[in-house]
Amino acid sequence: MNVNDQFARDLRTLGRTVTVSPTPDLTQQVLDRGSALATPTPSRIQRWTAGVAATAARWRRRAVVALVAVLIALLATPPVRAAVFDWFGFAGVRVEQGPDLGDDAPPPPEVDDALTLGEAAELVGFAPLVPAELGDPDAVEVSDDRVLVSLGWSTSSGTLRLDQFDGRLDFTLAKTSPGVVYAAVGPVDALWFDRPHSVVVLDQEGNPREESARLAGHTLIWPVGDLTMRLEGDVSLERAVEIAESATPYDE
Amino acid sequence: MCAGDSDAYAHLVDRHARIAVRTAALLGAGAEAEDVVQEAFVKAYAALGGLRPGAPFRPWFLRIVANETRNLHRAAGRRAARERRAWERAEPLLLGSTDAPERSALDADRRADLVRGLGLLSDAHRQVVTCRYLLDLDEAETAAVLGWPRGTVKSRLHRALKHLRADLEGR
Repeated sequence: MNVNDQFARDLRTLGRTVTVSPTPDLTQQVLDRGSALATPTPSRIQRWTAGVAATAARWRRRAVVALVAVLIALLATPPVRAAVFDWFGFAGVRVEQGPDLGDDAPPPPEVDDALTLGEAAELVGFAPLVPAELGDPDAVEVSDDRVLVSLGWSTSSGTLRLDQFDGRLDFTLAKTSPGVVYAAVGPVDALWFDRPHSVVVLDQEGNPREESARLAGHTLIWPVGDLTMRLEGDVSLERAVEIAESATPYDE
Repeated sequence: MCAGDSDAYAHLVDRHARIAVRTAALLGAGAEAEDVVQEAFVKAYAALGGLRPGAPFRPWFLRIVANETRNLHRAAGRRAARERRAWERAEPLLLGSTDAPERSALDADRRADLVRGLGLLSDAHRQVVTCRYLLDLDEAETAAVLGWPRGTVKSRLHRALKHLRADLEGR
């Protein structure tokens, strides 16, 4: 690695240690203020009317937010769950409400031992993350379209597979699942699928690529910067989070 | 904001809030980053009509965040004073968060050296390193945020790294 690459890598690592993040209230505060700003103010009377209307809208929205919060807490009815899934997405991952697919899912597909991490990094244009908890992967593979890096480990509980891709690309994994658990990897939101669910890659028009459809078991999805990470295998949520939190860009 | 709009905008806010707060904090808003970002989101909403259809939201929006961050220090008087204030707010964030999960990837000495080196850079060089590396924006985004041509981003980044190396290795 040349010296400038070393600097670039260390600076990126330094940047990632900065843990400032928005408070959960930010979105609502913006929406509240946005509704006031968007009101035209040509005359005093209109201004007053607008003020009243904005206040009414704010209260209405608060009522709606409260209602939604209650419904989310219950998570009882499928339509609400679907709405929550739709609202909670990651770059490149779409989650939809789907049928329960039974108790058994096949293990994740084996990863071809085709490449080194360095070769994979060159093909996809980013340094793949490797969880220290798992050590060097047993196999490294890059998809034909050079979008997805897959790392594989053979462990005592079967194959573990870690897929990663740049979420800014025009690439989408769609998942249909009967349920999802909200989790956190460090300070970052994550999604945990503990029931078998279907995974499919969407093409650029958003149509499923049939050949890519498959059934998946325990899966954790979380973002790291612009990358979207997807860990699949027979592990508990606690173990998956432990693995996820130990992921750092690989070192040549 | 009608209901449909506010839902759509809530998506945008949720999706970009994190990088926006980091950008504001490291460009010099420090603890006021969230206020700056809230202001930027409100202004961006009003200005959405000016965003070319199909153009990406993120670089356009981060530019607004960067401008709002600069406005924060407008009252500080001369340019040098403003730039110093911005760095005084960013520096502790880079030095302080030793409990982050990445701690093992960067030892304390290297971290302290890098932060010290960043402090020695000119403001323009520090900004380009902050955008391109600390925030991990791509070159086009960095150009948009700083309002420079891409060629300028490239050459200043190159020179900034050279200075950083000279400062850290020339001792």
